[in-house]
Order: sequence, then structure tokens, then C-alpha cells
Amino acid sequence: MPSFLLRRLIHGVFVVWGVVTAVFFLVRLTGDPSAFLVDQSATREEIAHTRHLLGLDRPLYQQYAAFLLAAPRGDFGTSIRDKRPAMGLVLEHLWPATVELALAAALLSTVLAVPLGIISATHKDRAADHVSRIASLLLQSMPGFWLGLLLILLFAVELRGFLPAFGSGTWRHLVLPAVALAAAPLAQNARLVRAGMLEVLQQDYVRTARAKGVPERGILYRHAFKNAAIPFITVSGLSLGFMLSGAIIIETVFAWPGLGRLIVQAVPGRDFPVIQAGVFVFALIFVALNLVVDLLYAAVDPRVRLG
Amino acid sequence: MAKRTARRWVWAVVLALAVGTSEAQTVDGVAVDADAELVVAVPDDTNNMDPRIGMGSTRSNYIRQVFESLVDVDAQGKPVPGLALSWKPVNDLTWEFTLRRGVTFHNGEAFNADTVLFNLDRMFRKNLDKWGVKDVTAGTSFEKVYPAVTRWEKVGDYTVRIYSSEPVPNLWDVVGREPLVPREYAIKNGVEALNERPVGTGPWKMVAWKRNDSMRFERYEGYWGSPPLFKRLRFQVIPEAGGRLAALRAGQVGLVDAVPPLDAGVLGREPGIKVMSSAQKLYCRIYLNARPKDKFDSGGKDGLFTDPRVRLAFNLAVNKEGIVQKIFHGYAQANASPVATVSYGYAAQEPYAYDPKRARALLAEAGWKDAGPDGVLKRDGETLTLQLLFPAKHYGQGFDETTPAVAEMLKAVGVQVVIKPVDYGTLIQTVTKGTLPYNGGFTACRTSNNLDADDYLRDWTAITLINWAPYPADLVELYRATRREVDPQKRLKLMADLQRRVRDWAPVVSLYQEAKIFAASTRVLRFAPLMDLHMDFRGVALRK
Repeated sequence: MPSFLLRRLIHGVFVVWGVVTAVFFLVRLTGDPSAFLVDQSATREEIAHTRHLLGLDRPLYQQYAAFLLAAPRGDFGTSIRDKRPAMGLVLEHLWPATVELALAAALLSTVLAVPLGIISATHKDRAADHVSRIASLLLQSMPGFWLGLLLILLFAVELRGFLPAFGSGTWRHLVLPAVALAAAPLAQNARLVRAGMLEVLQQDYVRTARAKGVPERGILYRHAFKNAAIPFITVSGLSLGFMLSGAIIIETVFAWPGLGRLIVQAVPGRDFPVIQAGVFVFALIFVALNLVVDLLYAAVDPRVRLG
Repeated sequence: MAKRTARRWVWAVVLALAVGTSEAQTVDGVAVDADAELVVAVPDDTNNMDPRIGMGSTRSNYIRQVFESLVDVDAQGKPVPGLALSWKPVNDLTWEFTLRRGVTFHNGEAFNADTVLFNLDRMFRKNLDKWGVKDVTAGTSFEKVYPAVTRWEKVGDYTVRIYSSEPVPNLWDVVGREPLVPREYAIKNGVEALNERPVGTGPWKMVAWKRNDSMRFERYEGYWGSPPLFKRLRFQVIPEAGGRLAALRAGQVGLVDAVPPLDAGVLGREPGIKVMSSAQKLYCRIYLNARPKDKFDSGGKDGLFTDPRVRLAFNLAVNKEGIVQKIFHGYAQANASPVATVSYGYAAQEPYAYDPKRARALLAEAGWKDAGPDGVLKRDGETLTLQLLFPAKHYGQGFDETTPAVAEMLKAVGVQVVIKPVDYGTLIQTVTKGTLPYNGGFTACRTSNNLDADDYLRDWTAITLINWAPYPADLVELYRATRREVDPQKRLKLMADLQRRVRDWAPVVSLYQEAKIFAASTRVLRFAPLMDLHMDFRGVALRK
């Protein structure tokens, strides 16, 4: 186990380095941001002067070397748009706004998906299964922005402020965006659990357990679900990763001050430091979540050996 | 017992005073809530609060709540005294500003001539070492745009003179509209503090700024002028127009900025909501490549649209009134002058009539006549093609709908239009590098932080991002004459003449000048949209 962890950590370092290096060069292919910082009547000389102040007139290898030296210290430079340390800005948007929203949505989509999927599987082709499958289909096919606007219209406008239409800071602000963000992964997870459970419930060991008189609840949760959970864990881990990387549509609809909006604004503004800091954080999140998912495999399935 | 009675009397008096005070707070006979908060839904956050970093339309709205300038602006867009009581040219090369007394910044620092000198040093990047200030990358390099401004001095604690090597008749506007920051605060805390913890003389103190979310202000009780009649103000960022309007309908915000024209009519009919609009300076156009070959990455060819008859023909081929009515539902206006209608010195020009027949005739005069079976005009075997770069999703839905509509109108007179949707950044890169195709053009809008028409008329002098049709020698000379003339009446006449000549010379295809639309709860009293870029809450009250 320790050697597995060490190996994965070393892999992780290379993955993160590869990602930030790719992003460093890719963003520079899109041009430079000097023209954004001057007004429309700026002359070429003024733009060249701004490029110089930003250090963008230095050879690319020098810029990259400076970046590699500073990045491990968390120094990704100053945001071109906001004139503040880029990593500080990213962390400010990650915590608490994005983490709160992602965890709430992840909790909703996993906690509800498990019973829904199991009920659907145990009641295959009966009313509960049909309702669950149709609901899943609807939730998965509804665009997030549309569902978000519907929720706002119902809970904020029609019910006169029963829940706030925008903003963050209290649990009431969290409800609507979390529901809108959780909808699609919830449906996906419920379908995965259902499919996994249907397969597992046909297995011989389940029949044996039933023959031995093991209570149905024990069969479902202790024997069947543990074996059906592997794909569910993988997808949930990835979903959480995507949610933590910012849910741009939901953040926009609910004016949620999260990481997604920050990065999406940084891209057209060519705010290199923020893009690089953001991608660095995304890479760390995905590496960490993948590691956690691998550890969870071993926890739920003793056949998986880490080492 | 007597003690208790006395205490009751004291409480009764306090209560009566409190009731009396609140009853005294009325506006237009309506009781108002002096302690209330107004939440304003805006589409975007500001990038900066230090005005030197930049003053776009979004930023200006935030910055001008906190900082003020020497010259203020009224609801009609006219210059009025701000931190300066008056300004006048002493002679052709000297302007004098008389400053308002008794003004303090939010931290108690006094506003005086030294403040103005420090700000001039920052604007023109002079004497910064003297103050120990390492300044920010500035949006406007005053020293490059106005090199004639040479020095400034204080001639009293409340009088400042600014000298130039040649006349600068719009100096009152150039210098006067720049928001002023506190000198001692900036020196002591560094210019970064101006951005993070801005301190101005304005009616609102910034108390919290949650990036991309909201900015909170509190009324500055020491404000020198007419204060807002409510205590707290919040700019709440809600990027989606639908979200902003839902928040207004839910009663969570009191005022909404940037209402889409399509929604304005519907909102206006809803009880409890009022819709207001005013002309603004955002002026949208098609910029055509009319640069000579040595002024862009040309491959040896002049811009295809150097002939003013072609550009004029394009103007006549576009049904501007149709755009205003069908796309903007009347919340925009056609304008044939190169200057925004709300600028000082604007002179109305004869509209470009929608006349496709005349447009074709002008194109024929310019040699474009041999239409093939596809209807596209040709000259010496070359087709009249416009490669039109279109920055989608940047200026709003109306703009996004206008560009393809205009392309169809141009096609109707024989122009082949190839629309190339690009992101705004790509457009900026293209015009910065000068890699616009020789037969290229782009749709874009420009606005202004200044009041004077010069800001627009300057567009076609030096080669800049938006100058793709440099003035010919006679227009350069006329423009210079407007810059030399100090007598206001003579200068206005010269500027009117220049506008008429630019109208005929048609450096761009003028599309529309947008109106700014606001929706407010009827609880908001006395709010009037400005023709400037920001909102003004002085004198505004909230119904109880």
C-alpha cells in the first residue's frame, strides 16, 4: 500500500506538470493579452509598452523557466484582469463557493441515487421502476440552465422568495443551484446503480445467500450493492471532479461566485496567470480524486490489491 | 416609583423623536426608508477600482460611486461642477481649475490642490519617483495621447493651473473627467490599496468586495453634495438577464441594469415595476479596411474600402431604422455623426437614407458594376467581398442579431459578405497585429469616458486598434484646427464642420447607438438613468 501511494504520488506530479506545461504553451498560442489592458485608441507603441511591462516580450523559454521556478511555490503571477495574485483568486473562488456547491450536489446525487437505483432494480418493470427510469431520463435530458431557470421561476418568483434566486452565503442560497447541478449526475448514478444491481442480483452467490435465509436487506446492501458499486464510485469521483472544476452554466444562472465563472472569464480575456493557476488546481483535484477512487475500490472489493 | 415614571417619560420622548424623524423622511410626499439597502443587479463585476487601471463601461459604474472627478455630469449629459467649482482657460496654453473647499476623502484626508497635482503626476507618469510610487499599467497613457500637456502647478490651496505647449481646448474634459484618488493614502499604502480598499470622495464608501459576486457600499456621511437618501447599496452580479429579471420580480433586487430590449416592453406592463431608458454612448459600427498598404500586414495591397464612395454606399444599403425598430424595439437610434449624440459638441447630421438604389449607383461610380449570375459586383475581375469579423456574445443579443441582418442588406446591393464569428480576444489580436484581410472589416462598438466630442473625432487620426480608415490630409488639418481652437463657440463650429465632412467621407458603416434600459421596483424613487456610463444614486430614495 505505501509503495502504491508513493508511486501514484510520483505519477501525479508528472501528470500535473504535463498539464500545466501544455496549458502554458497552449494559452500563448491564442495571442497575448496586452491589447485588453489599453483602450481602443491605443497605438501599437502603447500596446508594445504594455507587453513589455507584462514580460510578454521575453523569449518563450525564459517565460517558461520563470514559470517553472515560481509555480511550485504557488506563485502563478498576478492576474492580468484583476491585478491580484492568480492563485489567491482561484482559491478564493474554490473555497467556499465551489466546494460548497460541488459537495452539496455530489451528496444529493449520490445519496438519492443509491436508494433510487436499488428500488428500481428490485422492482424491475413495475411502477416504481418505470417512474424512476422516466424521471432519470428527464433529469438527464434537461439542460442545466433550463432547469435552473424553472427552479428560479417556481421557488423565487411564483412563491415570492421562498428560496433566493441568486447569490451565496446561506443554506437557502445553496438549495436551488445544488438541485440543478445534481439533477443530471443523480439520474446517471441512479441508472448505473440500477444496471449494476440487476446484473449482480442474477449472480449465484445472491441465490445462495437467499437460499441460506439471509435477510433481503442484508443481501441488497451487504452483498449485492458492494459489488455493483465499482462503476458508480468511478463515475461519482469523476462527477465530483467536474463539479469542483466549476459548473459554469449553473454558476451563471444562479450568479454563484465559483471557480467556473472565473476561469471562463479568464479565457477570452487571455488572463494567463489565472488560467494556469486554475488548471493547476483542477489537475490536483483530479489526481487526488482518482487516487481516492482507487483506494475506495480496494475498500469495497477485497479482490482489488493495491501494491 | 417616581424613577420608573421618569424612565417611562424618557422612553416616550425617545420613541416620539424616532417616529417624528422617520415621518420627516419623505420624498415627493412618500415616506422613505433612510436605513434601507438598494440591491442593484448588474451583469458583470469590475476588474479594478483604481481608475488608472482602466475605465470601461462596467468599471466606470463601480468606480464612480466611490471616486469623483473635477467635472461632474448631469442627467442630460452636460458637464457640471464636481470637485472643481469652475474651470477656464487663462490663455491659449493654460487652464485653471478652482477646487471645491471642505471636501474630504472617506478616510478623512482633505481634498485640495496637492491631491490634484498627485493625480496629474499619475495620469501623465511624471514625478512618480518623487512620491515613491511604482504605478500600475494604465488603461490610457495620457502622456502619449496628450503630449502637449507639459506641466501643472498649484497657485493656491484650491487652485491648480495646467500648462501645455500648444492649445488643448478639451483639457477640461481630458483631465476633468478622470476620477481622483487620495494622495496621502496612496503614498502611505501603495497604489495597490486604491484597488483593494478604495477611498474616494464620492457619496458611497466601499465596505466589501466579493469578486464576481457583489460589492457593498455604505453612504458616506461626510459627503459634500446631495447624498443618497438610503444607507446601503449593493451591486449584485447576476450575469444572465433572465436571472436579473427573475430577481427583480421576486423582490430580491430593487433595480436591474442592462435589460434586454425585448423584455423591456413586457416588464413595463407589470405592476410594481417601472422601465426607464436613456441614450448612451455605446456606438456600434462596421469598421472597414481602408488603410493604405504600409499601415497593416497587407501583402502589398491597399485596403479594399479606401474609396469613400464604397463606404458611403454601404451606409446607404443598411436599413438602420429597421434595425432600431425590429431588433432593438426602439431602444436605440441611428446616428450619422461620428460623435455620440450625448457628447458635448455633437452636431446632428443628415441621416444616411436607406437607399439601395443609390448605393448601387455609388458602387458603380467606384467601378463595381459587373454583377455576375450570383449578383455579386465585380471590378477588373475581382469580386466585391467583405470578410466580416464578428465578435459574437460580447456586446449583447441585439448586436449579435444585427450583424447577420446587415450582411443580408449588403448582399442585396451586390456585396458578398463572409461572416467570420470570432471571440472578442481574437478580434483584438487581429486588429492589434494589423492582420485584418485587405478586404476585411469587423463589427464593434466603442464608448467613451469623456464628455467632449474630441474623444470620438480622434478615432481616425493616429493608427490605433479601431482606426482602419485614416483621415485624408484635409480632414487631419480640420481635426487639428479643432484641437487648436480655444474659443468654445468657434471650436463647436469647427467640430460641427468636421462631423459633416466625416459623415460624407464615411470612415465606418454607422449601425446604431444603443439606449441603456433599466427596470426598477416602484419602491425606488427619483432614479434617473444618466447618459454617462455609470449610475447616480444621489438624491435617490427607497419607499418605506
